[in-house]
Amino acid sequence: MSAVAAKPAAGGAMNPTAMAVGIVMLLILVGIGYMVSPMVLTYAPAISPTFALMALLGVIIGGVLIGFGTHFVPVGGAPAAMGQAPGIATGVAMLAAGAGLAGLFGGAWAAELGMVIAVVTGGVGGGLMMAITCMMVNFVYVFGMGIPSASGKVANDPITGDSQAEYKSQGTEGHGLPFISFVGGVIGGILGGAGGTLIYLELLSLYEETLPGMMQITPAQAMPIAVSAAGMFAVGLFLVNAVLTAYNITGTIEGPHDPKFKRWPRAIVASAVASALCGLVAILIVVPL
Amino acid sequence: MSVKVEVIEGGVPHNNILAAGLVSTLVCLYLTYLNVLTSTQMFSFFGGLAVVAALVWGSHTIKVLCSYGIGTGVPSAGMIAFGSGVIAMLLATKFGMLAPVVALVLAVVIGLILGYVSNNILNMKIPAMVQALTEMAVVGALSLMGFAALMTGSFTFAGLTNGSTSVMGMILANHEMSFMVGGLAVAFLLGALAIQHPFNATLGPGWKQDRMLMLAAECGFLSMVVAAIMSFALISTGSALISLIIAIIGWAYTYQQYMELSKRDAAAWLNAKPIPDVEGH
Amino acid sequence: MVANIIFGIGITALAGALATVAGSSEDTESNIGSQGDPNSQVQLAPQMGFLHRIFNKAVAGEPPAYGLWCCLGAGLAWAFMAMQINPVLAIVLGSVLATFVQGVYATTAYVGRTASLAKFGQPVYVDILKSMTSVTMAHAFIAIFCTVTLCHLINTALGHPFPLPLLGLIWGIALGAAGSATGNPYYGKERQYQNQKFGAGVPISASGNIVRYAEAGERNSLDNGFFTHKIGGSASGICFGLIVFLELWRTILFEQVGAGWGAIIVGVLIILIFTVIDRYIEVWARKNYGPYTEVKEVSS
Repeated sequence: MSAVAAKPAAGGAMNPTAMAVGIVMLLILVGIGYMVSPMVLTYAPAISPTFALMALLGVIIGGVLIGFGTHFVPVGGAPAAMGQAPGIATGVAMLAAGAGLAGLFGGAWAAELGMVIAVVTGGVGGGLMMAITCMMVNFVYVFGMGIPSASGKVANDPITGDSQAEYKSQGTEGHGLPFISFVGGVIGGILGGAGGTLIYLELLSLYEETLPGMMQITPAQAMPIAVSAAGMFAVGLFLVNAVLTAYNITGTIEGPHDPKFKRWPRAIVASAVASALCGLVAILIVVPL
Repeated sequence: MSVKVEVIEGGVPHNNILAAGLVSTLVCLYLTYLNVLTSTQMFSFFGGLAVVAALVWGSHTIKVLCSYGIGTGVPSAGMIAFGSGVIAMLLATKFGMLAPVVALVLAVVIGLILGYVSNNILNMKIPAMVQALTEMAVVGALSLMGFAALMTGSFTFAGLTNGSTSVMGMILANHEMSFMVGGLAVAFLLGALAIQHPFNATLGPGWKQDRMLMLAAECGFLSMVVAAIMSFALISTGSALISLIIAIIGWAYTYQQYMELSKRDAAAWLNAKPIPDVEGH
Repeated sequence: MVANIIFGIGITALAGALATVAGSSEDTESNIGSQGDPNSQVQLAPQMGFLHRIFNKAVAGEPPAYGLWCCLGAGLAWAFMAMQINPVLAIVLGSVLATFVQGVYATTAYVGRTASLAKFGQPVYVDILKSMTSVTMAHAFIAIFCTVTLCHLINTALGHPFPLPLLGLIWGIALGAAGSATGNPYYGKERQYQNQKFGAGVPISASGNIVRYAEAGERNSLDNGFFTHKIGGSASGICFGLIVFLELWRTILFEQVGAGWGAIIVGVLIILIFTVIDRYIEVWARKNYGPYTEVKEVSS
């Protein structure tokens, strides 16, 4: 949204009652997950009774990582395309999705190497995508348009200490990606990629165990369905969490130094509730009726 | 997105569109059940009609929501609608014949909670938020179910995950050739773009309700055309052909009508003419 | 084993090359269509009294739009392959149909947005609709075809577990994200606001005053594609090509090293290299362009 657009109503304030309600909802959802968790044993007798609950917790952690990571991604929206505001000139939810899904791609590839390696691989994949993109953004600003980077929100770059104000051209809020925004983008990509991969792996392991019993087919036959369902849920959950975070920061943010970044506790609770809800529904698919 | 978005009054009230959209979507979804009763796949095209009805309703919901200026672009609303809808829809397919109703109920629950989360926890304080996110989750779930019925002829979990390939004239069961593997991702994005496009493409001071709803129907039929082409891989050729012909007729009619309405609303309809002179510039 | 790796490297190089073409074509397509964030200025200009002959194809942001085109192309290709059609033909047919959908979306978006601006006197130009839509469709076909092909290579030759349509969704969104991030500023600032000072951002007060006249006659979007392809398009292509190539390369070569940690370490090293390059570019600009208070150096 550009400066002329209607300003959204969302403020920076927290709503303690709603946060408490959110945490209660989260506990209730996890409680339901605990209740239904032993029921999946009907289809997969060999697994532990808390297997599904662990999967739910993994999905919640993954969702929170995505929601938190999206705060780091420096996105300026439409004004950034005119060099009127710092950040990357696109939508925050979709840029985070682009990086996170590139990470999910790498993580899913490494799935058979174990949980830790796959999640880290996913994170590095997301970070790599953001590092290349942010570098190319600065490349185009500097060598294509002759514009140095400058932040509009802080006087000095918190990492390098470079002063920003005098590099800001007249009549703008800053432009390009100062170093802190670059680092923020990479961190956001890493968290998003890791979170998306975690959701995928948790659901994949659950479906791999239960779908053969549920559909009366061999594990090899169930594999493509388990991969597709888990992949699609990971994409769906990613988009829900990224859009909720985009709502939280009203569409644009400069990176971790932006005052809007302080709103992250709200997004953590929101992502946790949304992921718990969607994760629970995803688990109920393999619970006998 | 620099247009100043305003709440525009007039036209059919939103609640009428909601009721009509919901009823016709559910009716169309249930009409695909004729496939089971007559043991054919000829009635799969009703799934596509359910998609069109749901998208017309959903595009108006997006209009109601985005009139408030939610801080991000219109497209993100379509993404959250289908992101929450896909999860509700897949669980609902396990309930056999009750699937559309279960999808509706589940999507209402998910939408209400997501609406509460964004409105209260994220402090957005937008009056229409809770209702709009609920409606969009329902639209997402039901239109995905419509796509599933269109492509596979059924909306049950078994129908979505089973497929067959014919190798040298023999029909083999093959789960890799199922809707879940190949169709779901396509249906997801077809719907997510079609639901946001009508409002996104017609917003501005000259927004007209009938033009936007016609565009929504056009987007629905266009999605139905490509989904019907994909359905050749999953259902019998004759049934897929029926869906495709209906989709093409519907698309051609709505596209032509939309162009007429745009011609009506446009300032001028020029061919190879220079920029008109405006005083002061 | 070695033969496998050499085969993988060959596929990786091919995928990287396809991605480069796709990225470059995607950015040119979206610039001709004024898709993405620069669209806001094309939309704003008539409201400020600057009527224009620029194509205004507001389908969605580039990531969701390309997510759909590539996913649809991949899904149709998947369906055709399921019908026992040869993969090459299936991918071409899928991309053609996806391009058709893109073209229909483009026309409805231009006509719809422009009709809603009737209050400000902005006319619908049928010649713009015809000539620009066909050119964007041509570029979109290249982008979709290359992306679907690289997804097919990843799926069949490199053995990624995701089915083709899901890969199309992932790489389509990544393509749109990379292309819009890199290409948008060059079109939005450098081309739309060529009348503003070089080497500075567009002052907010100048919003809407986009350049509407060309070297001869009135500017249309083909002129914009011609201009932005030289840097914005190429940069987007390199961006997406690097993403795909390095992601595949580190996995193919180093995944077997140290039980998977090899690929991770190489990935971190690549991130650090790009961080250093980025910092170098930033410092180079600060040193050579200098602060804006010394106006003489900047505006030259």
